[in-house]
Amino acid sequence: MFPILQVGPLAIQVPGLILLIGIWLGLSLAEKTAPQRGIPSNTLYNLVFFGLIAGIIGARLSYVIRYPNIFIDNPASIISLNPGLLDLWGGAVTAFIVILIYAQRKKLAVWQTLDALTPFLGVMALAIGLAHAASGAAFGFETDLPWAIELWGAQRHPSQIYETLAAVIILIIMWPKRSIWKTTEPGIYFLTFFAFSAAAHLFLEAFRGDSVLLLGGFRSAQVIAWAALAFSIWGIYRLQNKDRTASG
Amino acid sequence: MLFDNPKRWLVIAVLVLVLGAAWILVSKAPPGGTTGGGIPAPHEGFLAPDFSLATASGSTITLSELRGRPLIINLWASWCTPCRAEMPAMESVYNQYKDQGFTILGVNVTSQDNPTKAAAFVEEMGLTFPILYDAQGEASRLYKSSALPTSFFVDKNGVIQRVVVGGPMSEALLRIRVEELLEIE
Repeated sequence: MFPILQVGPLAIQVPGLILLIGIWLGLSLAEKTAPQRGIPSNTLYNLVFFGLIAGIIGARLSYVIRYPNIFIDNPASIISLNPGLLDLWGGAVTAFIVILIYAQRKKLAVWQTLDALTPFLGVMALAIGLAHAASGAAFGFETDLPWAIELWGAQRHPSQIYETLAAVIILIIMWPKRSIWKTTEPGIYFLTFFAFSAAAHLFLEAFRGDSVLLLGGFRSAQVIAWAALAFSIWGIYRLQNKDRTASG
Repeated sequence: MLFDNPKRWLVIAVLVLVLGAAWILVSKAPPGGTTGGGIPAPHEGFLAPDFSLATASGSTITLSELRGRPLIINLWASWCTPCRAEMPAMESVYNQYKDQGFTILGVNVTSQDNPTKAAAFVEEMGLTFPILYDAQGEASRLYKSSALPTSFFVDKNGVIQRVVVGGPMSEALLRIRVEELLEIE
């Protein structure tokens, strides 16, 4: 765990720094391989860039809408650089809408675009694992296994390490320059990544000590991951079958 | 290739999903298995570690005795520039919300500060919320303070909702965090 890097008077938030590096590396990789999916590099770059900008604006606006009086008293805070005033869901929804509008205007095909974005998502999954390791968030269940780590007052599963390793393995399997991924039908590359990620979440959530529980002690993230896995397996089957009908 | 054989694909799909569902069942969390705010640790979702510290007047304040009131634990030192920068906002927010039961514990990391300078800082800033002196560094160790200022937003159940390392925090951010604390039942 290494949440803060103290450089003179500056306290740099390591998790945030890792995510920024992840965005940069992920975007570079996706840009390089986008043309093989029929998406021009600069279109993909713009798509992610507009999505990020919209995400940041939406994340701030979500707070402004919820607490208008506070922002009327302190209008400068609407544009302050404070990351604490960014709402994840408000940002995600706005980013999604803007990406959708941009993709529509550029007439981007959905599956090809998702395929082109997959290397970016793969690198981000790895960055999120490392960010969790730095902050100590997404921590593990208590255990006395020999590889347990001391965190938050107990010996725990190193869930952040599991998460990072899973992301590394998935990234290796899904490496965009592998020849197998160059010939698949549009959408299969993305859905395979999605299926592997869902399966990894389904498996690894069992070792988490901070799971949100449903009635009966079921972990809600596992139920969502199971549904995502089922959806992606069904999607791969459909895309593959469509091809069969078309070519047969 | 795997993708080319629909029958084999179906068998694998069903197998994976059945195994997945079985895994969900097997890995159900035992009662008390997840944190639920029961263990003290200086992290979001955990119980705020308890401490007793002296004020300038010599009286002692114990964190657990303030259970029932949302509060901020703000670790600061007089030499720390961002601490100085955010104190006026802290004072203002304290005055706006103290009638609703909210309070701030300004914990001076005295083990890394000079008590005279700390007292002068409080005087100069006109701080009216409780200021505690952590002479032995007990609270800073408990809260694993790695940078100053660090603020812990604790709800009325004693559970840490947010941790903000570094500063200064703007008044708007502080007010929103306090409003969020007050909304928690």
